[in-house]
Amino acid sequence: METQSEEQAVAKPADSGGEGGRPQVAGAPAVRPEDRMTLLLRLRAQTKQQLLEYKSMVDANEEKTPEQIMQEKQIEAKIEELENEVEEAKIAFEMKKLALDRMQLSTALKKHLEKIDIKTSVLVDNMKQILNLNKLIMKSQQETWDLEEKLLDVRKKRLQLKQASERKLLEIQTEKNKQKDDLDSMGNSNKIKTIQQNLETEIQITTVIQHVFQNLILGSKVNWAEDPALKETVLQLEKNLTMI
Amino acid sequence: MSALRPLDKLPGLNAATILLVGTEDALLQQLADSMLKEDCTSELNVHLARALPLPCSVNRPRIDLIVFVVNLHSKHSLQNVEESLCHLDAAFFLGKVTFLATGAGRDSHCSVHRNTVVKLAHTYRSPLLFCDLEVEDFRASMAQRLVRLLQICAGHVPGVSALNLLSLLRGSENPSLEDL
Repeated sequence: METQSEEQAVAKPADSGGEGGRPQVAGAPAVRPEDRMTLLLRLRAQTKQQLLEYKSMVDANEEKTPEQIMQEKQIEAKIEELENEVEEAKIAFEMKKLALDRMQLSTALKKHLEKIDIKTSVLVDNMKQILNLNKLIMKSQQETWDLEEKLLDVRKKRLQLKQASERKLLEIQTEKNKQKDDLDSMGNSNKIKTIQQNLETEIQITTVIQHVFQNLILGSKVNWAEDPALKETVLQLEKNLTMI
Repeated sequence: MSALRPLDKLPGLNAATILLVGTEDALLQQLADSMLKEDCTSELNVHLARALPLPCSVNRPRIDLIVFVVNLHSKHSLQNVEESLCHLDAAFFLGKVTFLATGAGRDSHCSVHRNTVVKLAHTYRSPLLFCDLEVEDFRASMAQRLVRLLQICAGHVPGVSALNLLSLLRGSENPSLEDL
């Protein structure tokens, strides 16, 4: 086993003299204790973090892990569940931190405001400016909303008018179609045919009578051009009845 | 020959140790050199190993981060890593293990599919990093990333722990894992 795995160690004695410390060695001696302070503070923070990690591991190990052998899918599901719990804990923590920060900020602000002279403070000026701007914003938003409402109303009316005109046009069309149908049906009905035939016979009879009268008058060798009444009668007899 | 445990030793003051495990010695050495060149306020120790378990005769400091380097060009490296994973204590997988896949740039040479490594990382719930360790610039940026990870895992960054970082890293990975 030992021949299989080999290990090499490569180490670097890093700049433990402080963050980016080397170039500052040549500087003033006042810089050195500063470096040492930051180093100590940094080490303190590190050690705290490491202690926290160890403590949390100890707490975690106190929990009993389930010993039964589970299916792989169940294990996956369990793992995801636990991961979600971790996420939720993180989120809850962040929320609480945020709320705490806000409370701290507001108390600090309150104390600051109590101390200073209200009339000359830049902070109060800023706050007043912010309030004014907010009022303007709200007003403009309200105006925008109103305009949008109007636009919506106009559009609705337009739509209604469009629909009404559509209906009217439809009605007109149906009426026209009905008329056309009536006309066509009339043209094909039998009544019309018989009436037409009667008309034709009557026209023929009248034409025959016309010719008979014409021949009567011509045959009597009367000068019909002299008498206006007779002239009118003759001219009337010339009328071709089929053209009417 | 016992399993490696994450917290069985006390940490050294201002020291952070990383263990790189992989079959490609040259790549690991280069990566170690890039990491040591990085500007870091803590003392860095880089240990290289071909496979776990490590011989217990050597006196070594507490290991803060283990990076398993898988070369996508060779199936042997993947097998090696899989075998080594058995020798780790389960507590390590709470953020102190990372997988690094190299060689993804040259797709024609890849004998291990990318998805295999992704699934492996998903099974062990650890972050997976991709890097072409043969290119100088990528190696340098990856070294920088690893140094930051190492600092967090060693507890040198107040307010962030390895587990915290794990859940932070997980957030960006999830969408792609849904496709698997």
